[in-house]
Amino acid sequence: MNNLKTPNAFVFNAEIDANYLNSLYGDDYNYLQEVFTTVLDEYVSLTDNIEFSYSSGNLTALKASVHKIKPVFGFVGLTAVQLQCQQFEQICGTVSSPDQLSGEFEVLKNKIFQSKLLIEEEKKKLELFNSNCS
Amino acid sequence: MSLSCIIVEDLQVAANYLKNCCEKSGQVEVRGHFSNVTDALSFLNSNTVDLIFLDVEMPGANGFELLDQIAFSPKVILTTAKSEYAYNAFQYNVSDYLMKPFTYQRFIEALQKIQPSKETISTNSASDHIYIKTDGKLIRLNNDAILFIESMGDYVKFVTIDGKKYITHNTIKNLEEKVSKQHFLKVHRSYIVNLHKIDDMRENLLFIKGNEIPVSKANKADVFRRLNIV
Repeated sequence: MNNLKTPNAFVFNAEIDANYLNSLYGDDYNYLQEVFTTVLDEYVSLTDNIEFSYSSGNLTALKASVHKIKPVFGFVGLTAVQLQCQQFEQICGTVSSPDQLSGEFEVLKNKIFQSKLLIEEEKKKLELFNSNCS
Repeated sequence: MSLSCIIVEDLQVAANYLKNCCEKSGQVEVRGHFSNVTDALSFLNSNTVDLIFLDVEMPGANGFELLDQIAFSPKVILTTAKSEYAYNAFQYNVSDYLMKPFTYQRFIEALQKIQPSKETISTNSASDHIYIKTDGKLIRLNNDAILFIESMGDYVKFVTIDGKKYITHNTIKNLEEKVSKQHFLKVHRSYIVNLHKIDDMRENLLFIKGNEIPVSKANKADVFRRLNIV
């Protein structure tokens, strides 16, 4: 996690908590690019687990799969989505079947999908930024 | 100074971040990353480490099941956010929790919690021998030569593989901290044994080259954990 020579020049999407990312990585945008890449690499398998758990009616697995993806959003600064996952986990503890939280699930599912697009966009911006710095 | 560790974590981004923190600290050497308990256990069956960074919820067995199955007692830092594991963590003597994602500063704080013990282990495990003061001179005893150590009030008796007995002014409690943790284990308030010399165990007795060593109830679980039971 080495510091770059041109700090504070990258502008994150407004949904990303830049201060939080700074607390994790400083201004090491090369490492941050690696983080976004890794997150995208495992994103599909994590979201597939959530979808499968929901569609198979397995509440325990659904809760566990949302718990598993939760910190991923923290690693890319989407702290609000991380919190949303936390709240969904809590709701899972109050029902007896995934059918009872279909509304909440749709909201979360859409958010997770939108977040993927956002992470992809930020990764492209980071690649461009880092290539200009090197 | 370098602690050896493994990372047991199925979330790749978290494992990579942890590896980075370890490298940056210069205090922790990562000897492996495993995304499930089975692979970690396979490694730990033939290797020891000072520290395990352990996720709890993983596909297949959970992190605590790993701790149940390993034959030694490394320090453990959990990388999970679930408070419902607090009781288990207490039972397994977990050193700290790291809630993902954690800052580098928080990582260092967790390391600091295990440093005092590491210093003891490092000093001891690095050495294959000890020196004892007896009859006005210092005598070197290789770890492999010692069968067991027995308390005699303010003195202790070292019994060696060649049948010799060395008596020196010391206590089991003090020696427990000073001898190699890889070789020795306190099995009773009056005995420390060389784990590599145990011939067999029956009920609450260990047998070492014809010597009967009592095992206390309080230490029995530790003995089972350290013996390589298959």
